[in-house]
Order: sequence, then structure tokens, then C-alpha cells
Amino acid sequence: MLRSRRKFLNEAIYLSGGVVMVKPFFNSLLADKNEKKLTILHTNDTHSRIDPFPLNDAKYPGLGGVVRRATAISNIRSQEENILLLDAGDIFQGTPYFNRYGGVLEMKLMTELGYDAATMGNHDFDAGIKGFLNAKKYADFPFLCANYDFTNTELAGKTKSSQVFTKNGIKIGVFGVGVELDGLVSKSKFEDTVYLDPIAIAQQEVNNLKKKKCDLIICLSHLGFDYEDKTRASDINLAKNTQGIHLIIGGHTHTFLSEPLVVKNSSGENVLINQVGWAGLQLGRVDFTFGKRIFTKHEIVHI
Amino acid sequence: MRLKLFVILIGAGLTACSSFSPKTWESNTIPIDYTLAEMETLETEISPYRDTLNLSMNVVIGQSGENMIKNRPCSALNNWIADALLNDQDSLSKILKPNMVLLNMGSIRSSINQGGVTLGDIYTLMPFDNEVVWVKLPISVLKDIEDYIRASGGEPIANAVFNKSGLSLLGEQEQTDVFWVLTSDYLLNGGDRMTFFEQKLEVLYTGRLLRDSFIDEVKKQGNLKIDKNCRIDVTQ
Repeated sequence: MLRSRRKFLNEAIYLSGGVVMVKPFFNSLLADKNEKKLTILHTNDTHSRIDPFPLNDAKYPGLGGVVRRATAISNIRSQEENILLLDAGDIFQGTPYFNRYGGVLEMKLMTELGYDAATMGNHDFDAGIKGFLNAKKYADFPFLCANYDFTNTELAGKTKSSQVFTKNGIKIGVFGVGVELDGLVSKSKFEDTVYLDPIAIAQQEVNNLKKKKCDLIICLSHLGFDYEDKTRASDINLAKNTQGIHLIIGGHTHTFLSEPLVVKNSSGENVLINQVGWAGLQLGRVDFTFGKRIFTKHEIVHI
Repeated sequence: MRLKLFVILIGAGLTACSSFSPKTWESNTIPIDYTLAEMETLETEISPYRDTLNLSMNVVIGQSGENMIKNRPCSALNNWIADALLNDQDSLSKILKPNMVLLNMGSIRSSINQGGVTLGDIYTLMPFDNEVVWVKLPISVLKDIEDYIRASGGEPIANAVFNKSGLSLLGEQEQTDVFWVLTSDYLLNGGDRMTFFEQKLEVLYTGRLLRDSFIDEVKKQGNLKIDKNCRIDVTQ
């Protein structure tokens, strides 16, 4: 079992031309009295892997399986009160379950497991927009897609760009971004879906969620972790070039991260990026503690 | 169990009018394996779907003497799928000969495991409903394919070799200015950014799924032919 622990502290002081600016910050001693906890559970690229890999599989013998994932989630639900269960896309495609049932079973099981939200990956278009809608009927959770404009498709109004969840008084804003479909998915499948710049859209979503007074902002991303071509939209780019996201739950590149990567955003603040490979081989978990913020106004101090 | 404690700073941007702030975080990646019990209620929900599928998908259609795992720059599995397409008898192979096969790593979705190969294994290997297509290209595109493979680090190819001097065709060429590539409609349409297919001179659609080519090839071979020779050397 891999565990890591990080401490979030407010950036209190930064230096600028010999002047120490002290910004408003919360007093962490006081905050401890009001500490609240939130558990984020997440998957990505489960790819219709309902059953565990076969025992003779060359790479992952006997691993994975939705029924066991359900147990892992249920164990955590019995210990934690405030849980969000999220998926970063590519629910479809990879086993005969999808070829035969078109993703219906995947959606039913995710609903059974209590998923709170998901975003669409490129393979979630593999049955076409009609096919996705047909399976989505069995999903009792929203699909968050902020940078796909579905206006001229049957998906119009069927997805949301973001959703705000409240858990024990903590407001969590979740939004989703997807990968460019052109070159990955045939046009006949995504039809008149318009792909919008995920990074610009992400910042808009963050700004909206901040206006709604969210305490934590999570991005479900199917952009991919990182690419050799640094100009390509990726989770790393998204983290570096936006401000306000706390956690990016990634997908697409099937990247196994043993723990979240911490990246500085455009304001020098920390963003966590996590991804748990693919095929439901792992369940990701990130726990946050929150402190009640006590604002203290400080003067500029010359040194 | 690994336990680490870090202190990191988060910015002042969080101060905007919210009442709680993330103070600490910790993470834990949970492997999904046999140690987790299987919930019966869910099993009951899945089993009708599984049972119906298994009737057709658990049929053993061939045998593999070894595990075959996809890999870059090359692997026995990469060779096997490209050769399967090269040897395939589609509606056009009586009148045309492909000069090379080009597929992509991304379309190989699992391994072929030692032992019996089931129909379901081939569906899992190639879950996409991609169609086999014949594409006639000007010979200059061979260089574009070479550049693509060098950049990607390797793709499944047959009837061609990529060595120190680059990519070259192995078979006889009836015409020297054009060549026929057997590939999938997904790649033809720019999938995996194989934009060189835009230079196509002619396209012939077979109406045959790539997966069906693989299934028929497994049945034909019985014991899968394993070719471990590396066809791609992208080191310079």
C-alpha cells in the first residue's frame, strides 16, 4: 500500500524588492478545532473491464474487476463520512461486454457503486453519440464536459460543464475537460461536437466555481498526463497554466502514478495531479483536511 | 507502508470569500486484487450478462505457445497482428498484393497469453470495429511513414523493415512510384495523427473487420506462429 501525506499551508509571505508582503492567511492553530475531512476516490480508463484479467494474463494476472472495486469502495464508505467517487473517462471499449451491450452494464455498475460524476473520454464516443446516450440512460450521475460544445448534437443539454457538491459544509466544485477528438475518434462518431481549448475553458470553470464559493476545485481530465510535444494540452500544462484548481484527476495516457504529482500553477500555488493507470487495476484515493479560515489583516512590513 | 510528511505552500488565491481551506492531504492507491472479497449483489447483477457472453466468447479458437505482449519498437505480438493482416484473404487479395502492412500500437488493447486463445481474447486484443482498407500511396509517403515510426518509437509492420538506413519494403514492387498499404480505416482517417494518409491516391474498402482477420488467422494457424525478429530499429 502506498501512502503519502502532505501539508497544505497558506502562503503567508513573499518577497518583492526587499519588501515583505504579508497576505491574509488563516491561523492554522485555530483551524485545527474546526477540521473537516473529505475523501476523493477515483478511477480512469476502466475500459469495460468488468471482470478481473484472466489468471493466465501475461501482464495483470487475476487483477482488477468491478466487484472487487465495489468492495474496496464499500470498505472506505464504512470508515469515512464524506466521500466523492469520480471517474476521468474512457469507461467504454476494451472487452466484449462493450461490443455486445454497448456500455449499458458499465453505466449500471458505476451507478451501483455510487459514482458522483464522470467526464467523457475519447472512447466514450466509440458507440457514437446515440450509443453513448443509450448507455447513459442507466447512469444516475452527471457527465461533466466543459470543453466539448454539444450544441449541434443530440447530446445538447445532456451533459454539464461542472457540478457543485456539498459534503459536511464543504463546497466542492468539479468540472471536466476532454481530449481533442479529431485524429482520435472518427467524425462519424463525434458528429458536430466542437472541441474548445481545455485550458482557457478550465480557467473559466474555475472562476465560475470560485464565484459559487467552492472550497475545493477538482478537474476531471481526459487530456493525458504529459506529452513529448509540450505544446499539446496535458494535465501538466493544465496545472501550470491555470490558477485555482486543487486536484486534477487525469486519464487517457493510462499513467500509473504511485502518488499525486505536485505542480505549481500560474500563481505559484500547488496543484495535485493523480492518475491510476487503467482497467480498474487500482482505485485512487486522496484525502483532504480542511480548516476554517480565520482572516487576519497584516500591514506591509519593511525590512 | 510508506509514510512521508511534506510541507507545501498554497497560494493566496484561495482566500477569495470561501470559508474552508484545504490544509493537508494524503493519498493512498488501492490495488484491486484477490484480497478484496466479491460482493454478491453485484455478482448477481453481472452474471446474466457474463453468462450470455461466455457462451460465444469462451470458445477456444487456437493455442499460443508463449505470452505475447505488445512493445516498442517491436514485439512478437506486433509482428503477429501485422502478419495476420498480410496473410488475410479478403475480397481484394486475389487481385491485389499489398506492399506493406501498417497498424498502430494504440489499437492493440491486450496481450495474447500462453495457452488456449478464445474468441473473447481476440475481441479484447482488438475491440474496435475497424475495417481493413487498402490504400494506394505515392512512394514518397514511405519517407513520411518512416518519420512517423521514428518519432513514435515503433508500430506494427509487415512486409517491410526499418533498419539503420530507414524504412524499406521487402516484397517485389510491380510499380516503383506507388505502393499499396494494408491498414485500418481508423488510421486512414487520420487516427493517431497518421496524417500522411491524406496523400492517398486510391482507397479500397473491404467491408471486413480487422478483428475478423485476426480471428480467422488464429483459426487457420491453430498453433500461433511466433516471430520474435525485430523489424524495427529506430536507434540512429
